[in-house]
Amino acid sequence: MEKSVLKLDKGTTCTAWNYCGQRLAAGSVDGTLSVFDSPDPASSSFSRSSSVKVREVGISKVVWVPPEYGDAVACIFEDGNFSIWEEVAEDSLSVQWKLCEFFKSSSSKVLDIQFGVSPTSLKMVAGYSDGSLKVFELTNPLELKNWQLQAEFQNVIDSVSTFGKASCLSASISWNPVRGEGQESSFVMGFNSDTPQLNSSKVWEFDEAHQRWLPVAELALTEDRGDRVYSVAWAPNIGRPWELIAVATEKGITIWHLNLSPDADGRLPVERVALHSGQEGEVWQMEWDMSGMTLATTGSDGAVKLWQSNLNGVWQGQATFLPTC
Amino acid sequence: MPEPDGGELGPLSSSPTPPPSYPLRHSLRSPLSPRVSLCWCRGNSLRVSLFSQPASEVEFGGEVVELKLNDGGDGEISNAQWRRIAYGSVSPFAMLQSRRNSFSSLSKINSSPYHLEWWEYVMEYSKDINSLLGNPKSSKNSLIEDPKTFVQKSEEPTCLKAAWELMEMFYADKLSQPWLPERLVDWLADYDSLFARAYGTVYSKLLNFQNELINLQVIEDDPRYWEVIASALAVGWLEIVVKLLRLHGSYQLDQLSNRETENGLVEAVAVLISKMPRMRPELEPRRLGECYKAKPDFIKAWEKWRGQINKLDCSAFWIQCHHVQTREGLRNLLQIMLGNMSSLSAATSHWLELYISHFLYVRPFTAGLESMYSLAQRCIQLKPMSNSHKLMGVMIGILGENTEVVLAESSKEFGPWMAAHAIELLTAGSDEAEALLREERYSLGEISLEELHRLVYAQVLSSHALSWQIAPVYLSSCLKQGMGLLEILLYRQPVPHKELLLKNLEICRLYELDDISSNIMKMAGVHHWKHGRKGSGVYWLQQAQDEFRLNKIAQLLFGSVGKSISDESFKQWEGLIELLHSESKAAGGLEFLLKYRDFKRLLQQIGDGKNDVAAQQAVESLMLLMKNPSTPQRFWLPLLNDSLKLLNWQDRPLLNVSQTNLLLNKLQELSIARLRPHFVKPDFPMEALNSVRLSLATNLGRAILEE
Amino acid sequence: MAVTQLPRPPEVYKLPQYKYVDAVRWLPPISALDRHAVLALFDSDGGSSTVEIHSLLNPNPDASSTAKSLTTLAAWTPPSRVSSLKTTNLGHRPFIAVSTVDGSVHVLAAQNAHSLVEMGAAPRVHAGPVSCIDLVEGGAECVSVGEDGRVNLVSLGDSGVSSFRFFDSNGLVSYSAARWASPNEFATGGLGFGLQWWDRRKPGGPVSQFKCNWTQGRASGIVHSIDIHPSRKHTCLAGGSSGTIFAWDLRWQQQPIILSGVVMGDGSKHSVSDSSEVWEVQYDRDVKSSNASNFSSSSRMLPVMMCSEDGILAVVEEDEEPVELLAEPCAINSFDIDKQNPSDVICSLEWESVAILTRP
Repeated sequence: MEKSVLKLDKGTTCTAWNYCGQRLAAGSVDGTLSVFDSPDPASSSFSRSSSVKVREVGISKVVWVPPEYGDAVACIFEDGNFSIWEEVAEDSLSVQWKLCEFFKSSSSKVLDIQFGVSPTSLKMVAGYSDGSLKVFELTNPLELKNWQLQAEFQNVIDSVSTFGKASCLSASISWNPVRGEGQESSFVMGFNSDTPQLNSSKVWEFDEAHQRWLPVAELALTEDRGDRVYSVAWAPNIGRPWELIAVATEKGITIWHLNLSPDADGRLPVERVALHSGQEGEVWQMEWDMSGMTLATTGSDGAVKLWQSNLNGVWQGQATFLPTC
Repeated sequence: MPEPDGGELGPLSSSPTPPPSYPLRHSLRSPLSPRVSLCWCRGNSLRVSLFSQPASEVEFGGEVVELKLNDGGDGEISNAQWRRIAYGSVSPFAMLQSRRNSFSSLSKINSSPYHLEWWEYVMEYSKDINSLLGNPKSSKNSLIEDPKTFVQKSEEPTCLKAAWELMEMFYADKLSQPWLPERLVDWLADYDSLFARAYGTVYSKLLNFQNELINLQVIEDDPRYWEVIASALAVGWLEIVVKLLRLHGSYQLDQLSNRETENGLVEAVAVLISKMPRMRPELEPRRLGECYKAKPDFIKAWEKWRGQINKLDCSAFWIQCHHVQTREGLRNLLQIMLGNMSSLSAATSHWLELYISHFLYVRPFTAGLESMYSLAQRCIQLKPMSNSHKLMGVMIGILGENTEVVLAESSKEFGPWMAAHAIELLTAGSDEAEALLREERYSLGEISLEELHRLVYAQVLSSHALSWQIAPVYLSSCLKQGMGLLEILLYRQPVPHKELLLKNLEICRLYELDDISSNIMKMAGVHHWKHGRKGSGVYWLQQAQDEFRLNKIAQLLFGSVGKSISDESFKQWEGLIELLHSESKAAGGLEFLLKYRDFKRLLQQIGDGKNDVAAQQAVESLMLLMKNPSTPQRFWLPLLNDSLKLLNWQDRPLLNVSQTNLLLNKLQELSIARLRPHFVKPDFPMEALNSVRLSLATNLGRAILEE
Repeated sequence: MAVTQLPRPPEVYKLPQYKYVDAVRWLPPISALDRHAVLALFDSDGGSSTVEIHSLLNPNPDASSTAKSLTTLAAWTPPSRVSSLKTTNLGHRPFIAVSTVDGSVHVLAAQNAHSLVEMGAAPRVHAGPVSCIDLVEGGAECVSVGEDGRVNLVSLGDSGVSSFRFFDSNGLVSYSAARWASPNEFATGGLGFGLQWWDRRKPGGPVSQFKCNWTQGRASGIVHSIDIHPSRKHTCLAGGSSGTIFAWDLRWQQQPIILSGVVMGDGSKHSVSDSSEVWEVQYDRDVKSSNASNFSSSSRMLPVMMCSEDGILAVVEEDEEPVELLAEPCAINSFDIDKQNPSDVICSLEWESVAILTRP
């Protein structure tokens, strides 16, 4: 049963729902950020509560900041800069969206941003068009303007080699969604670039003892390492003995098992459990449901596909939805 | 979409290749951009953003469409009805789980009584659940007084209830095992109308005939009269058969004399029918047949009854019966009772009806499941189904004794609610089924089929704003992955709404999820704080014991309070400061404000400068504040300025030498700090500093003299 | 939980509504014979809210069964979901005050049981939802409070509804409950089990404040509901988090009387509902259950009815075991005792239904 939830404004290019699905942030081609709300939690009718012109440049992606840090979004602009906006009421004025911080990129463009919550702080990873990654950390949990650059590195296993003139079209980052105590922060990231070494998805883990980020796994078969990666998605784990990560490459959608106990040389054992070339063209977005049992994907063919594992652990397409008037 | 078959998108459905394709309907009239944006919201509802082509001249730039997968609503039962079933199932389910826990702990000590009684608990559970699925069965007995009405169109029964009762009778109700065929007869009597939509059934034949009854003059001349009687007899609806027979024209008073024999034959058949021996413990009042509990008695009675039919069949009276239709019709009834295959086949429409007629007349001594499956297959061959019916998969799975098929079919046809609840029936007292459904499977992520179905159901419950609160009951029965899913579910509830937040926290408390609970309170605290509700913000952060954020808030508050510390507008902070009272532990740096408020109150009490006791207390309070490391340095001067009254106390010096020295040292420290580059200059005139210094000096002098 | 059972349990009728029941109240009598209730319902499938007058019927008056049913007679559509609902009788006509999650207050009148007319509205007097409203007894004046820290007085006059912001804490204090004590005085409650006493003749702030500090930091909570008995206006009864019910006597400022919940010092107290939210409290006007003369003269607390998140509806008395009237598997979110017929109670259940109780 499909139901229309809301209509978007002209020129809308991207949308994002917040943690509880009660607010939608939409970015548009003219640099307007619109927020839609529903009046109460049981209602599924939404109306626009605010609309702010955040810049004169088009917004290409909106990402919500985790709710422990307020109602805030990061906007990535078409010119490769990004900024963080927050809804606040200051000095008994009514609630407004305000700019917290503008991140200007000098030579390379930012392609993707994702936030990760650790018990002590908020981390933000940004992937850039030169194949580099920057990890920022929030210093004051109540103010989204103080970000500290914690690390900067390239998406390669071998940290010695650097690739100066890489040119990336897109990047995809996905944090391990776990939020418990005693868990190291980790995320997976892959590039769509002309530099094969950068492309394959790598799992990065924060080494608390040495305060650095380490690549702990690579999600690609030896012969596929140079394949362009369009999208990655780390599934919520409600108790499986393995982690589940979906990676979409030029060959199709792959699903990986990742074992969190490292082997002798510190790497996490991985196993590819599925390869599907069902989706025509590039896969642009993959989303796991809350239990990590269903994967929803969409891409350049405009279709929405659902994937599930059957009783024998074989991943298969369950349904395809084609937008129809 | 998965409509109209509810639960098609379960993890159990083996998918065809390529996967089925469905339209995703939207109302945009412009050409769409291929870019689509996805988000899973609330359980398994998927929100899809569709965007118009940027250039197109249209009203809207896109639309967000919500797709509910595994939606309960399947046309047969509305969403609101499904929710009522869901609410009602909670208590029986929870009760059965707690019984199982006490049972398994009991069986560790004493293993034998487990199977003796467990199914009785399951039956109690099954009855409770069944009562939620619709009203008690529509009775087709002769309660209806109108002689021309024999079937009553009562409330339409549901396939859901029919399937539940089927599973109950085959799996849970151990008492009915010996008379399973008779239970099937009753079951079909209740649910035959369900098949009427797709096929002609005995029920639909009867209904059609009843509608035309008023137009018929001589009922026994109409071949349909004899047809419907034969059909009703074939499926064992004896009351209807007898009632119909008594409508026969020969019963009419004016005809009785010349149709004596005919009437006698009709009555003889009617009597035979009403005396049919039945292998069952009891019949409801006004229902026909004679009950036998023990098989030997039943066999004896059956042979005797058959003998009477045979005798009547060979009787010479038939020659004297001149009404052809009556003669043929009645003899056909006898053939049915004698188990003549072609008569039975002619009288029935659906294979299930033929199947039932077999139990009644061909193989009356069948007990249990022996060869029931092969018989069903034969019947299906004789009366093939043109299209599949919701109930057939479950039915065939049961007869084929394949638990996995039954579970898969009930999940596919009736959705996750059914799968999660029917497992209790399937496992009732069957070790094999229990092993199959409770065994942990690596391919499922080391959970059992039972747990998988409960997780799937809980996720469906989570999809609705009103039913998510009952998901925890099912999740807590999932030992391996239930708590993991519950944590995610709780974390995704909106925090700004107070009632919802409190309901959410109550669930955290119930399941001892303290981490989640404090995280949720933290989210609520930050939300309120940032949205101008500072009191609520501080309250929730205190509840979350988030000292880190509270300390940051303290810094921010000092800024605001600092501006107004010496004037009356400090009063507006009173309410907030009141809040800090109860949990001074968790107040973080805000503790200072509380002490400051108390100090202010004492100063006010002194008022006219005569109250010695209050003044002495105020001095102590001042000293505490000045010594306390959590008192920000920028408040030192304002504090001392506020205390001028104390320093210049008329009657005697209130501060002793060491106290005065301490304050002077602080003043000194402040002067040095002024020289540092990052010093925040308090909003204070220099005269104030001088008058404080002067007062302190005077007080020191007086104190030295005093000592 | 130690709870004594009534010797004779009340008759209970559960009536599924297939809609979420946001609030429920008895309606003051319109005619001598009929009985009516006002329900605020939310249809989650359609996303719409209604306020409805229902008549309470015995479908088979001649039959021995006294089963009851509710029939909708009149309906009014609020602009958003209802957060609080109160009724009163004014000039022999029932009046209904409704507040919404949108921050507005509406005053409705029932001309007869079949017509529900909006007399006026004060839109968006709160930023965010209205937590609670109360109608002054026999008058057309409401006090409304919210988490935004505003205290508004909304009154129905000849020229419709007018509103006046009596106090605004600018969010420094949030209020969650309100109750009139007299035409000029009212009490509010909020976070940290705080209670405030206000006098409309003395604007600018509360005239008296009570802040609980008996919990010693263990279980601070929120006041969800306040009641004040007409014969004892100096006592403010409050129910809230952690199964807490307490009374604050204005004459004995510092020490509350604790009826249920938080353990005080060494003396343990009876608790109706362990640590659950007490959503509503009302003085039990059904004096049959206890000896009325006990209360009229002494300083003993009058019996109190409460409902809770863990599904309990019970009557609580000072120093006695609570008497449980209903124990449901889901939350009881609100209830109302019929003023004309105090043995009857109507309550709203979380699972989209109402329950009607008739006590023997």
